This record gives sequence, C-alpha cells and structure tokens, in this order.
Amino acid sequence: MKVNKTLQLFFLALTLLGMSAIVTAQTPQGTPPPPSAPHSVQFPKPVEKTLPNGLRVIVIERSSTPLVSATLLIKNGGEVDPPQLAGLTDMTAGLLTKGTQSRSATQIAEAIEALGGSLDSGARWDASTATVGVMSSKVDPAVAILADVVRHPTFKDEEVERLRQQNLDNLTVELGEPGTIARFVAARVVFGDSPYGHPLGGTPESIARIKRDDIANFHQVFYQPDNAVLVIGGDIKAADAFALAEKYFGDWQRPFRKSVAIEESLLDIAEVKPRVLVIDKPDAGQAAVMVVRKGINRKSPDYFRGIVANSVLNGYSGRLNFEIRIKRGLSYGAGSALDARRDIGPFVASAQTKNVSGAQVADLLIGEIGRLATAPLLDAELTPRKAVLVGGFARNLEQVNGLVGQVASLAVQGLPLDDINHYINNVQVITASDVQRFAGVFLNAKESSIIIVGNAKEFLPELQKQFKNVEVIPIAELDLNSASLRKKN
Amino acid sequence: MRRKVTFLVSSIILLACSSAMQSTRAQVKMPQLNYRERKLTNGLRVLSAIDPASPTVAIQVWYHVGSKDDPNKRSGFAHLFEHIMFKSTKNMKSEMMDRLTEDVGGFNNAFTADDETVYFEVVPSNYLETLLWAEADRLSGLNVDDANFKSERDVVKEEYRQSVLAPPYGRFEYLLQQKSFTAHPYQRPTIGSIEDLDAASLADVQAFHATFYRPDNATLVVVGDFDQKQLDAWVDKYFGPIAKPNAPLPRVQIKEPPRKAEMRFTEHGQNVPLPAVGLTYLTPPKADADAEPLRVAEVILSGGESSRLYHSLVYEQQVAQSAGATAELREDASLFVFTANVASGKKSEDAERALLAEIKKMQDSPVSKAELDKAISQIVTNQLRERETNSGKAFALGEAAVLLGDPNRVNTDLSKLQAVTAADVQRVMKKYFTDANRLVLYYLPEATATGSNGRSGQTTRGGQGR
Repeated sequence: MKVNKTLQLFFLALTLLGMSAIVTAQTPQGTPPPPSAPHSVQFPKPVEKTLPNGLRVIVIERSSTPLVSATLLIKNGGEVDPPQLAGLTDMTAGLLTKGTQSRSATQIAEAIEALGGSLDSGARWDASTATVGVMSSKVDPAVAILADVVRHPTFKDEEVERLRQQNLDNLTVELGEPGTIARFVAARVVFGDSPYGHPLGGTPESIARIKRDDIANFHQVFYQPDNAVLVIGGDIKAADAFALAEKYFGDWQRPFRKSVAIEESLLDIAEVKPRVLVIDKPDAGQAAVMVVRKGINRKSPDYFRGIVANSVLNGYSGRLNFEIRIKRGLSYGAGSALDARRDIGPFVASAQTKNVSGAQVADLLIGEIGRLATAPLLDAELTPRKAVLVGGFARNLEQVNGLVGQVASLAVQGLPLDDINHYINNVQVITASDVQRFAGVFLNAKESSIIIVGNAKEFLPELQKQFKNVEVIPIAELDLNSASLRKKN
Repeated sequence: MRRKVTFLVSSIILLACSSAMQSTRAQVKMPQLNYRERKLTNGLRVLSAIDPASPTVAIQVWYHVGSKDDPNKRSGFAHLFEHIMFKSTKNMKSEMMDRLTEDVGGFNNAFTADDETVYFEVVPSNYLETLLWAEADRLSGLNVDDANFKSERDVVKEEYRQSVLAPPYGRFEYLLQQKSFTAHPYQRPTIGSIEDLDAASLADVQAFHATFYRPDNATLVVVGDFDQKQLDAWVDKYFGPIAKPNAPLPRVQIKEPPRKAEMRFTEHGQNVPLPAVGLTYLTPPKADADAEPLRVAEVILSGGESSRLYHSLVYEQQVAQSAGATAELREDASLFVFTANVASGKKSEDAERALLAEIKKMQDSPVSKAELDKAISQIVTNQLRERETNSGKAFALGEAAVLLGDPNRVNTDLSKLQAVTAADVQRVMKKYFTDANRLVLYYLPEATATGSNGRSGQTTRGGQGR
C-alpha cells in the first residue's frame, strides 16, 4: 500500500545554470561542478475508511523507522470559544490528559511514558488534537490511552484549578516577551472581536472566568465521533491500524443531537481598519516589529499563488531577510507567514531588532511587501523560491510526525488527501504574474497594520515622521480582551 | 523552566547510542548505522553511510573548535566566525552557499557550541558533488571584506539581543553558565558579549581560520543517497589537495578545579515575570563512564510529566511553573543543571528546597525497576526519532567521532545505557550532588532588589552549606 506515485519532477526544474553566470560575472572565480541527473521521490498514499459512528480513519504506511504516530483531531479549535471565555477550547484539550474515568493524571503520564512514548493534547485554530507517538511494538496500548483521554476525561475541579494556575503563569511569562505580545496584539488588530481575534490560550481575565461546567459542556458538544478524524501513520499495516481504530473507537457513540456545523464562516472583519500601533514596553531588550493584514482561507483558489508569493518574501534568502538581515544587519531574522485557515487567516511579516531601529525595520517590511506587486519578478528569482517550498515540503514528509501532520491538516480543512501528491506540481505551475497579481490584491500594504512592541522612546519620533496616526499604548494599559486593546479607565 | 539553548548551540540533542537491543526493555530492533570511515593523508576524517530511502543527502563538516577556543578578550568569536563562513570564500561570493542549497530545494545552517562548530546541509542527492566542492572551498580559505564582516557582526549582536535580552529568562541562562565555571573558558557563553564582539576585527577572522580550520581538525560526514566509489573520488578531488599546516593545533589546557564549597548568587533583571532558580553541579567530561548513569538520572528527573521534578514540583506541590534537569555534557567538564520557574505566589526558597529534596530522594534510595525501564524506553524512542532522517544520522555520527573520540560509539552506546543499574544511578547521585559541589543562582525581578527579604543585589560567594 506504500508509495504509488513517483514524482519525477521533483527537482527537475532546478538547475544551477543561472548561478554559474552570477559567479563568473564577478572577478574570475572557480565554478562549482553542476548537478547530476535528479533522483525521484515517492510519497506514501493515505488510505481511509469511515466507521459506522462517523469517525473518519486515515492510515499512512511508512515502515522505514519502527515508529508510529496517531493523532485524533476534533474539527474545531479556538475559533469556537465564546467571546467571554477565550481559551475554553484550549483548556478543554489540555485537560484531556489530566484524568479519565479509569486513570488519574499521574497514571496517564506514567502509562504513556512507560511505553517510551509521548502524549500531547491542545487546541489550535480550526482543530483540537490529541497525539501519541511510540515505537511500533507499543502502538496498541498507546492508542488505548489516546482513546481513553479523548472519550472519558473527567475534568476534576482540582485539575481545572491546577491547569488554570499554570496557564496564568505561562501567560505571565509570555507577556514578558516582545515577540509574543506583538503576536497577541496582531490578532486583535486584524480580526477585532471576531473569532480569531483572541489569544488561543485566553487572556488573564477570560481564563479566570472559565468554569468546570463550561469545559464539560464543551467536551460534550464538540467531542463527537462524527466531528473527529483519526490519523495513524508510520510502521503499521493499514489493516492493523483500522482494526485498532475499531477496537478503541468503534463503540464511541454518536450522539442524538445534530452534529455541530463547522463549515460556516464565523468571521466579520470588514469593519476592521488598519492601525499603526506601538505597545510601549520600556524594559524590552529588543523591539518586535510586525506588519499584518488579513490573508486568505485554506480553500481559496489563490492558495498556491499565495504560498509562492509568501515564499518570495520569506525564508533565509527571501526578500525580507535579504533586505533586513543580510544587507543591513538589522535583525537575526526577518520573515513572513501566510496562515490560511478554514476562514480567512492572517498574513504576518515580522522581525526583531534593536529598539532604535524599530521604525526603520517597519519601513523596510512595508516597502518589500509593496514592491512584490510592483517591481519585476524574474524567473531567476521565482524558481529558487518555489524550490524552497517544494524541498521543505518533501523534507517534512520524511518524518512520521510530519507525514501525519500534513495529512491531518488536509483532513481538518476538508481537502482531498491525495493533495500531498499534487503539491509539487501545484507550486511549480505558479508564474511571476500570478505572484504579482496575488500581491496586488491580497497583500496590499495600504490595508496593512503596523505593530511595534518595544521601548517606544527609542523609535517613536522616527515612526511619527512616517505615519500620522500612531497609537501608543503603555504595556500596563494593554487589554487583550477587546479590539481597542486599551484598558478602560 | 525548560532550558532552551539559543539557536547557535542548536536544539539538536544527540543521544549518542544505538545497536542491537535485547532485554525485555524494548523488543524493537534498533537499526545499526553502517558507516564507512576513511582518513585522507592531510588528516581529514571522512564518515559516510548510505541510505537511499529519500533522494537527498546530508553533508556536514564538524570542526573541532568551539566557543571554549574564543581568542582572549573575544568572547563570542568562534560563533561570529561561524557566521562569516557564509561570506566570500576563495571561489564563492557571499551567500553562495544559499544559492547551492536553498535555491535547489535544500537547506543549510550551522551551529557553534562550547566544543565544536558544525556546518550542515541537506540537498537533493544529485547536488552532492557541488556541495563537496563548496565545503572544500571554504575550508581552503576566506575572502571577506570589512563591510561584510561588520554587517554580519551586527547580525550576531541582534542574535545576542534576541536570545539574551528579549526573552524573560535569556539572561538567567547566560548567567548560570557564566558563573558555573571559575577557570575553564566554558565560563564564556557561546554568544559572547556586545563589547567583545565590537572589539573583533577582520584580522582576527583570518587568524582564526588559519589556526583551526584545517583538514586535520575537520570531520566530513555524508549520509544518504550516493554511490560510495563516486563519493570517495569526489572527496579526493576536492579535499585531497588542501594542505595540512605544520603548526600544532592549540588545545585548551585549563582544567576546571573541583568546587570546594557551595556558591550562591542572586541576580536581578528588569523583565522577570516570575523568579527563577538554577542549581548546577560540576560533573565529569562527556566521554567519562559516569556520563551514562547521569543521562539516565536526567530522564528520571526530567523526562515528561511522569518525571520526578514535574510530578513533585509542578503537579503535586505547585511550587514551580516549570522545572527541569539537564545533563549538559561537555568535552572537558560537564554541568548537571536544575532549573525551576517559581510559580506565582511561591518563593525561590520553596523551589530550591523542593529541588534539593528530590535530589536527596535519589541519593537515599535506589530508583525502582519500572522507573529505570521507563527511562531507557524513553531514550530508545528518542533515538529512533532523531535518526529518522539522513541529517539526524549524520549528527549522531559526527557527535560520536568528534566529541566521544570513536564513531563506533554511534552503535555501541545504547547497550551501555541499557546496562545502567539503579545502584549506578544512586552512586552518581551521591558522588556528584554534594553540598560543596553546588552552585545556586536566584534570578529575581528588579522590584524585589530593594525588598525586605534581606537579599541585596550583591553577589555572595562562599559556602553557607545547608
């Protein structure tokens, strides 16, 4: 059942001809030997079936290393948090491993770790997950534990309080880091009070409000077999994996209630306006600079145009890092991400720099994003940037965890699983004009917001020369609970 | 807190080990790493292992030089130099390494640690010859101009800010290493200091290359999809002509003296959300036989949520927001490091007391067979995961050859770990985790510097014992 498709075009288009020209154009220098003929790559093909209770089970065989990874996904994440209870989804997922009807939190940890394995659970946007990874000889008891924590968590008061306190302490630490603050602020700036706007783990205020019953109810509503996907990958035969799924998830009852709608759009961000926002944190050792705006959703027909456009900006030799790090030494690294979700996700360009260069780096980020739509993009630049995407994708699939993760993402977004075998071609067909059109429509810098978290007095005057309406919020007055981001007096 | 070493020391934790496993501990058969070793007449060691599973090849060059070899008053130089190796070389202009890797769907990077500097790439296997040419070229010589040097030095200064100044506990980890060694150059954290980086010059770069970047101080590792004969011929062609200098290789001779009395320090920082506590104990070099029981102790104390520190400090007592133990194995002298981020509402003293109580428990009674078996299973699984890729296999080979002195330890160390008994663990816990061998660092928010707890911002040295 392994392999099926041979992707001959893997690195075909990628030759070094252009490069030797660059080298000889300088002073006479030796040139590197050219590549030999490319070798082909093969990805395993996922197989699947749906159990009578509605649970979709997907298996990907890969026997090269005796490891198995199994992940159970619930097709909802932080976006379904009630506005006052930000962090509810994350807390529910986090508590899965903290006690079931038959095992305490300690017994769960001991059981999985005695197998040499790991068990993690948590929420992200669009999905909640619980994942086990073990040697293939231990997969049966590991999947038994996975099923137990997903199906029978008890959410004991004591565990709820413990996790609440840990999450609050974690948040306290995270809010000491300029980069993390900028990320939290960016979500509010782009999504306002809409579902992707809050920190995934909640705010100090919302975490304090979450009650045990909220968590138990959430679990009852969303953790249903027909709202879940089980992905098992690695050194295991498909028939054995399906049998395991039957054994531990087959009697998971589908409830009578109508299952939750998940495909509808939750987003209402038309009203959100671009801002130039400074969070003044005088003790910041560096300034975190971000340029953010709304991007696209995962099913958008522009998805591949989008990720190729992003790849021109992002990566070590991408335009952002080239201008900011390589050329000017202003940062350890600059990059961007187009985070396509079930609904429209964010586009974020970012870098950290010494406080005094904060405004300059913001200007460079904006400039490069704008230039993507207007300045020429030659194939000599585009081809390598596509190679970066293709190479990263293929390397990710070399590991069982990466393989399972990729397939799980496709499943959660309702995309065909065989897309892993079309990815390379989908990237290769994108042209320079595709990228420029995408950049003009979806990455327009005028609709972007700028966020700088750092010691404002070092960069504010410079920033105010560039922009008229700079909002400054002292860190003590930052409120992550609302779109205004400012505490009410 | 998790000790997350900055990017330059990289997050690659190599549990050097492997080989056939028997015993009831894990029925999994560990794949042998069948490697081949050669030595060129100029001293270059070449290790290679064929694995055609994916059409890629991992190429690494390990130089046996690290931040312990930073020149005098140039802390951070070995790492800065590592960055410079991506600038102009004899036949390549700046950033050409990225053209040869990133642009064809591969990647490259490098890291500098206390004992070694490693340059690594993964490329489609048809680019193997190209990369061998490129690595040989930058071993042959650099050709960097002042503008390039200064701009890259600014990058490293930003890296310092990003890893030490911006994260709440960056300076804590920096201080913990700095204070843990009193004589050995390990006392200089790899990233160095802004002042010393500013003092570095282009002349230092040329001197450093001439001193340490020579074939007899390098190990080339190639793992993946290639033909052995072809590889050997290419290595001969590109690396063979590089001359071996006559000058002897300087090696750090300074020994870290044994600690005689507990050392205690209190430091304050501006951006410290919760206090942190660190304990370090001086332990023997990486290649010492006690390294194995110490690694098992590390996993028992700190491997996962069933580990002793998490269970006791974070889960039961809730005295710490996070707690961990790391056997930081180094070539000349190692540290066993405990860290805890104090939970809100608790005191540093509470966390320290709880850490010491866990250490005492391991000294007073042997760990159970179940706990020992669990630790070994965790180590085996981690090793499988680390060796899933060509790159992971190459790191394991390089580590065994360069830092343990024998590439074959890549296949023999696991059985040594499996042979560790509860009595071994108890013995090393008693031997090294003594009051006199302890350093304690409290890292507190600035506001408490003027507090009424009797601690000032001053550093106090000397043994107060407990």
